[in-house]
Amino acid sequence: MTVSVIADASMMDGGRRPWRRRPAGLLRAVPVTGVLALATAFRFVALSREGFNSDEAVYAGTAASIAGDTSLSGLFPVFRAHPVLFQLLVSLVYRAGVSDWSARAVAAAIGVLTVAVVYALGVRMYGRRAGLIAALLLAVMPYHVVVSRQVLLDGLMTFFATVLIYCVVRYAETAAGRWLIAAGASLGAAMLAKETALVVLGGLYVFFALTPIVRMRAPHLVGAFAVLGLLVAVPAAAKAYAGAGSSGQSYLLWQLVRPANHELSFYFTTVPSAVGLGTLGTALAGLIWLRREWTWRERLLLCWVIVPVVFFTLWPVKGYQYLLPIAPALAVLAGRTLDRLGLRAGRLALIAATLVVTISLAGASWQSIRPPEGGTFLAGTGGLAGGREAGLWVRDNVPAGAQLLTIGPSMANVLQFYGKRRAYALSVSPNPNQRNPSYVPVPNPDRALRDGRFQYIVWDSYTAGRAAFFTAKARTLIDRFHGVAVYSGTARVGHADQMVIVIYRVRAR
Amino acid sequence: MSARICLLLALAGASVLLPAEPAAAAPARSPISHFIYLMQGGHTFDNYFGTYPGVDGLPDDACQAVDLKRPERGCVQPFSLHGGPPPALDAERSLVEAQLGGGAMNAFVAAYQERGRDGAPAMGYYDDRDLPYYWNLADEYVLFDRFFSSAPYGIRLNRSYWVTGRQTPGGGEQLPQRGYGDEPTIFDRLEAAGVSWKFYVEDYKPAETFRTASTSDAAASQSARVPLLNYARFLDDPKLRGHIVDLSEYHRDIVAGTLPAVAYVASSGASERSARSIEAGQRLVRDLVTQLQLSPYWRDSAFLWSYDGSGGWYDHVAPPRIGERQLGLRVPALLVSPYVARGRPDHTTLDPTAALRFVTDNWGLKPLDVGAGSSLAAAFDFTAPPRKATVVGTARTHAAAPGVDVRPIYGFYGGAALLVVLALVFAVVPKAKKVKVTEVVKEAKVVQEAEVVEEAEEADVVEEAEIVEEAEIVEEAEIVEEAEIVEEAEAVEAVAADRGADA
Repeated sequence: MTVSVIADASMMDGGRRPWRRRPAGLLRAVPVTGVLALATAFRFVALSREGFNSDEAVYAGTAASIAGDTSLSGLFPVFRAHPVLFQLLVSLVYRAGVSDWSARAVAAAIGVLTVAVVYALGVRMYGRRAGLIAALLLAVMPYHVVVSRQVLLDGLMTFFATVLIYCVVRYAETAAGRWLIAAGASLGAAMLAKETALVVLGGLYVFFALTPIVRMRAPHLVGAFAVLGLLVAVPAAAKAYAGAGSSGQSYLLWQLVRPANHELSFYFTTVPSAVGLGTLGTALAGLIWLRREWTWRERLLLCWVIVPVVFFTLWPVKGYQYLLPIAPALAVLAGRTLDRLGLRAGRLALIAATLVVTISLAGASWQSIRPPEGGTFLAGTGGLAGGREAGLWVRDNVPAGAQLLTIGPSMANVLQFYGKRRAYALSVSPNPNQRNPSYVPVPNPDRALRDGRFQYIVWDSYTAGRAAFFTAKARTLIDRFHGVAVYSGTARVGHADQMVIVIYRVRAR
Repeated sequence: MSARICLLLALAGASVLLPAEPAAAAPARSPISHFIYLMQGGHTFDNYFGTYPGVDGLPDDACQAVDLKRPERGCVQPFSLHGGPPPALDAERSLVEAQLGGGAMNAFVAAYQERGRDGAPAMGYYDDRDLPYYWNLADEYVLFDRFFSSAPYGIRLNRSYWVTGRQTPGGGEQLPQRGYGDEPTIFDRLEAAGVSWKFYVEDYKPAETFRTASTSDAAASQSARVPLLNYARFLDDPKLRGHIVDLSEYHRDIVAGTLPAVAYVASSGASERSARSIEAGQRLVRDLVTQLQLSPYWRDSAFLWSYDGSGGWYDHVAPPRIGERQLGLRVPALLVSPYVARGRPDHTTLDPTAALRFVTDNWGLKPLDVGAGSSLAAAFDFTAPPRKATVVGTARTHAAAPGVDVRPIYGFYGGAALLVVLALVFAVVPKAKKVKVTEVVKEAKVVQEAEVVEEAEEADVVEEAEIVEEAEIVEEAEIVEEAEIVEEAEAVEAVAADRGADA
């Protein structure tokens, strides 16, 4: 027997109790609007108080190059290492003028959108209240707040990764091929933001392998991979047609063979506090407490979290923000726990627990928004203290064509972006197997200075704290080539001003 | 020790440590308050810039006969010296006179051949591969292509014109036993007017003067390169002699803020007189110019350098006469200043005495007897605001990688974004249509509703109402939506099975 129905909104809303639906819909918009407003506040307040760090300078410089800024296009090649979807978005706003705020605003807006998608995901998986709590947690989560306030690729990648989970959930629920195709498109878009998004495919593979009841039909899979393949081919095609076919290839090779840059335990020491111990604890507690309610939904989220964590723990190259895509999944799991807590223990318990977790996260996020006071600066977590001010001094006082020699490449990137002058780094290895191919080494700095290639040497406290050997080398060169301090920058560290950057003018004779 | 004495000692110490006051200079009549002139040695314009675009360079048909009396021996065309062995040439009087051929300009090779030597190297030229820094500076500042040496031959002779505007006493290279006598120099005029000046000498050896040099001393000796060391008054008067200093003081003066108004520079090992010293010469010029550009002096400075003779190289332009004076061959000359046009070759006929006219006019000095000729002032553009300094390197700018065309980037990535949006829209907003709902769908609906009701019963009354409401809205919406596509029949089976398994 078959029955014909019209699948439209009026039918979905019901036919039943239409008088209750309309005001309920409006009322429902209030909490989620509040959460989005909170997310906006945490991402936009004092957005450009500090200047760019090294990675931000590189991506913003690339965006400026794409936008046609001639003062930066010679310093930041368009095809440097990663795909350029995010840089392309920033370039659209950079056409109206290059600024710190506008580039970060793009990243922040994507962060707010991610919160909205997490809300939709949570509603889809565990109901409206769970979705609202998940969105609230992500809105104030330090990990997501910190990264989405920066000109980094990971925020956009996480946005598309979250859309990808949503599509997979819909596919698991409906087995409709269009959702798997949309999932393929989302994964492709995530990889156009940053190629490391490919890792989440591993999580999905494990999920589908362990969940036979969610069957994937071959035509759907073919369609999804076809779309994914088309999107993945875009960077190579764009490069080839833009006349930069071979650039960036050696970067991938280097990423595959480069030595480890952090301990194996890096993520276990940095990520828990970044996502919030409250979030992590609540999510884990829920998995244990609600183990009898275990469904494919939890399995999906767990696979989503575990596979990238294992992969990047074993992978020698680690970056603070690499695990950002797991943040939405953890927020949804925590939202599920708190939602069920409300069902079992009452509304008061729900509100109290949610407030505790939210306030702990918000406090940590607020600390991260404020200028660093710890005395140390971790690249990738915020601005490079004093870097923007030094770069602007370089722009205003260093003649065009003059070249600077820094201790490390981080400061070189920042000075290049703000100063619009070429900067090289002492610590870049002449051995191509041991350096980022984007960087140009100075094999014999002594001779380069004798030949007059460099007019300035830059000392900075951030690099000095990490590279004692090259700091000593820089000091030797400064003395040997008659260095005269022409700029010194200080920054507030703790309760005192500390010297963070000194620029020396040097000469060959 | 009393506190007052301590204070006085401290003040005295501080006064020693503080940088010296800038040298007092009479106000300049133009924005140029600091003029620096470096003299190098031994090259023609065609030898250095014969292939530079936009100048009067090597003619296409240039070819110098090997033997003027036997034309059948052929001729030598200009050729690149890049990567070749360093040629050995001379620029002695008789040779250069023979090369010029009384204005015929046809014996640059034959003059050597007549002396039993290979004259072909005289036709060699350098280009931007050998002189990248000079060519870059020419791109950025002013290159003169009609700047002649003051005399056809002779280092002493040419350098005498450099500082006095006149030939040496006797008109030759011979060094008089008592020096150059009382011939006034530009530095006498500057001293008289109270305008600060210095003569910087690379590797300065104060003991090497005309008094210690033999009358036939090598032309490249210090007394030949530094004409002031041939004047007794500049050696005997401590005040005047104090102005002749080692080149290292140039850097100290820039840092200390004591750069004089007028400075002449004579190089030594970096003079470019030999092929091997060309790179050193470029390094020297780069160092002097760059340090000036990095300093506050840049905004009111001019740096000129030229060459004191042909060095025996070929140049295709016959040197003119100015008044009674016969000029020598063209030599390279560049002017670096914030008040010159970017990369514009200057075709004015000049020689080193043009700098003397400029200095005399600029500081209102008593004129020297330099004869007729133009002033360097015409090369400046004081109507435009001063240019910011551009430090140039040794990488040729035209060799930079071609720019990336960003249109394909926007095209491909824009297309990708469109594809993603379409895929998502297609998934989220399916076309409204009639679909068939099978019995399996209806059964699944019943199962799901039963699950929701069962779940609601576990909650308290208030929560139950919420759950039921959400179940009615969310789950019903899901189910109805699921029914939109025909292929969903199988899917709902899976959902039902899943529910059963979970239960």
